Amino acid sequence: MALSRREVIWGASAAALGACGRRAPAPGSYVNVYSARHYDADRALFAAFEEATGVAVRVLPANAEQFTERLRAEGDATEADLIVAADAGNLWRMKDAGLLANTTSPALESGVPARLRDPDGAYWGFTKRARVIIFNDQALEPADVATYDALAEARFRGKIVARSSTNVYQLSTLASRIERLGAGNARTWAAAVRANFARDPQGSDTDQIKAVAAGEAHATLCNHYYYLRLARSEDPAERDVASKVGLVFPDQTGAGTHINISGAGIAAHAKRPERALQLLEYLVSDAAQTMLAPLNDEFPIRPSIAPAPELAALGAFQEEDIPLDALGRHQAEAARIFEEVGWR
Amino acid sequence: MALDASSALAEASTPLVRNAHRLDGDVFTMLAAIAAALCATPAIAVFALSLRPGEATAFGGALLRDGAFGTLALTLLGGGGALVLGATAACLVSLCRFPGRRVFEWLLVVPLAAPSYILAYAYGAATWAGAAPLAVQGFWGAAFVYAIGLYPYVYIAMLAAFSSQYSCALEAARTLGARPLDVFWRVALPLARPGLAAGGALAMMEIAADYGAAHHFGVTTLSTAVFRAWYAHGDLRGALQIASILLLAALVFLWFERRARGRAAYVGRSTRLSAPNRYILNPTASVGAFLFCASLILFGAILPLAWLARLALLHGNVEDIAGPLANSLILASAGALGTLALASVIAVIGRRGGALGRSASYAAGLGYAVPGAVIAMGALGAFTLLREAGIVGGLSSGIALSALLWAYAARFSAAGVQPIDAGLSRLAKGLDDSARTLGAGAWRRFTRIDLPISAPSLAAATLILFVEILKELPATLILRPFDFDTLAVRAYSYASDERLLEAAAPALLIFAAGLAPIVLLARGIARLRAGERHP
Repeated sequence: MALSRREVIWGASAAALGACGRRAPAPGSYVNVYSARHYDADRALFAAFEEATGVAVRVLPANAEQFTERLRAEGDATEADLIVAADAGNLWRMKDAGLLANTTSPALESGVPARLRDPDGAYWGFTKRARVIIFNDQALEPADVATYDALAEARFRGKIVARSSTNVYQLSTLASRIERLGAGNARTWAAAVRANFARDPQGSDTDQIKAVAAGEAHATLCNHYYYLRLARSEDPAERDVASKVGLVFPDQTGAGTHINISGAGIAAHAKRPERALQLLEYLVSDAAQTMLAPLNDEFPIRPSIAPAPELAALGAFQEEDIPLDALGRHQAEAARIFEEVGWR
Repeated sequence: MALDASSALAEASTPLVRNAHRLDGDVFTMLAAIAAALCATPAIAVFALSLRPGEATAFGGALLRDGAFGTLALTLLGGGGALVLGATAACLVSLCRFPGRRVFEWLLVVPLAAPSYILAYAYGAATWAGAAPLAVQGFWGAAFVYAIGLYPYVYIAMLAAFSSQYSCALEAARTLGARPLDVFWRVALPLARPGLAAGGALAMMEIAADYGAAHHFGVTTLSTAVFRAWYAHGDLRGALQIASILLLAALVFLWFERRARGRAAYVGRSTRLSAPNRYILNPTASVGAFLFCASLILFGAILPLAWLARLALLHGNVEDIAGPLANSLILASAGALGTLALASVIAVIGRRGGALGRSASYAAGLGYAVPGAVIAMGALGAFTLLREAGIVGGLSSGIALSALLWAYAARFSAAGVQPIDAGLSRLAKGLDDSARTLGAGAWRRFTRIDLPISAPSLAAATLILFVEILKELPATLILRPFDFDTLAVRAYSYASDERLLEAAAPALLIFAAGLAPIVLLARGIARLRAGERHP
């Protein structure tokens, strides 16, 4: 029970020595990825890339805001080659901090629609997600929540739930509104939606859908794939949730539904930039896009690739047409507005 | 004073011993200074980084105000709850006899193996499904999760405190005719005060530092405000300023805690002659005690884990988990030993007093009250300086692991120092003085007296550190090398992607991996009690 002096000292020094020891060996060729996406689909994709090219993919999955700071601290000594993140807002921040290198290639240019990439080539989208409205189908008809504006109407007082605006998806949603309609309009909207809350923001996107299914609220905003996951969950209680709610792509007669990307960029101080580019090109290739579509529930980056059948079943919809770097440019303002209207 | 004089006399009369003593003392003092510096550097870096010139903070004062209020309310309610639950449980199993006592004695530590954020997710999910016996949501949900998940800190510290000398004092009080309640209020409680203060302080600082559960339940605290400033406003400097407020609050809190613990110094020694005579509870009280202990375990472990187990079974297959399990165990062992080494030196120098002693204990306490991600940012800041000075390169595997172990020490040394210190506080003052008079140097007294005497507390510290590091997420997430996932990282990856079914298995494994050491060590503490070495 009592740790002897020797045990304590040797244990600690062994741990310290072990940790300070050698650098990681570099067997064959590899590429290092900092990824804020934690999907099994991505792991399958990286495995397929290894298979196809013989280049091993070493991944450090972490949270985007945090590995941004790690990149900053590492400076030109970083081991990271490719940076993968969900949400254009996160990617824009990394670009803004000078952590991404501008790049381009014919494969990227033809693979990624201009709207879904950074104008300077710092990051490139490789999947798309839509910010949809989920409603309780006992309480509402789809037409009741056909627009984002509907969520702000007084008839929904106490009937809306929403996730915390600490989450980047909410920031980007409001940033797109600032881009299209101006900060004043965005503020009025956020304040009115806030006034309709059934409870203070808590939990994830999925938790909001569950609250709507339970009748705690009538509608919420979420990324489309969370609904699909519930619909085919292994948990019957979750499938039940999906059966009680409906999904609307908002603003179909107006500006279109807010969409966002997952994207990747090459680290400014990448040691293996050519392999990072190879992996980036692979992510937008037909092979990877076709493989990704059924594995995860996001939309392929190009219309020419068919989405997964469940996704296609939701129907075609009109996308909001704004340059995605606007989501980054207006992010700080969006955060300020959320803070002011008390939507935390 | 007189004792100091006598030891000075002893030193003067034997030059050989004196020189050895001085050298020894210097080495020990130096070690202690290094340990304290290592523990404090990331926290100091947070202060320094927050003072960099820059734009005004992007968030308003309302965030700070609400955060301060939330932290205060949650530490008082959740921490107070943990204090009451843990102290009651420790008193029951230490002082009373009722059916199941022997099993409860070690079973009661079990909830310690479950991280607050996992309890929060499990209760949140079960509440939604209507399966939780009570609605665990919002502010009260958070307070409940903290109280039920953190009471073992208080319980363990008090269990260790109730061992050895205490039973003698209790015995004496009883023999002298004190009534049970008098014994409790006038003897047991004052004697257990160091344990109570130490355990309560740990629980409260843990709550102040927690992000996961508070965020999940939508409570604005200073810790969630840190991440709001950082993630939503992209204002890391502002985030570190809020973290600095937490650090300052921790300093003030530690000062109070040390006062609450009092300047108790005990003269006397453990006789360890006989098993303590426990009060035999009447049937009604026995049932009450049994139900109380059982419900702590039910709510702190069984219900949330059963829910996780249900999710894991629904999902069926477990994605390659052996690697993360091994990584978790390696990191937790190395981190616990490294941190324990620093913590024991700091605890001892802290006991011996002096400016270094005092500042060392504060240095160790700092990191515990701020989120791990903030300490990781401090470590990254310090790392940046080392890199710019050309001392280290990038965060290659070795450097990353070292930085991670360093962050663990900075974050958790308080969790080691507190119990060791509580154990040392029972060290009869005369013992140290006698050793000094006999010419034993600082290092020799450390290894021959302090360490053996505080063995139960060292065990408690090891236990807590191992499990703390096993559960640790944010610093591990940001400082680990490539392809080095731990169980907590794996659980987070799935949970952040809102895949609770997939997250359930690694979450359960965190619990399972922490369970064995916890139970072993808790049984060890129980067995080390006076007179119970030979059952």
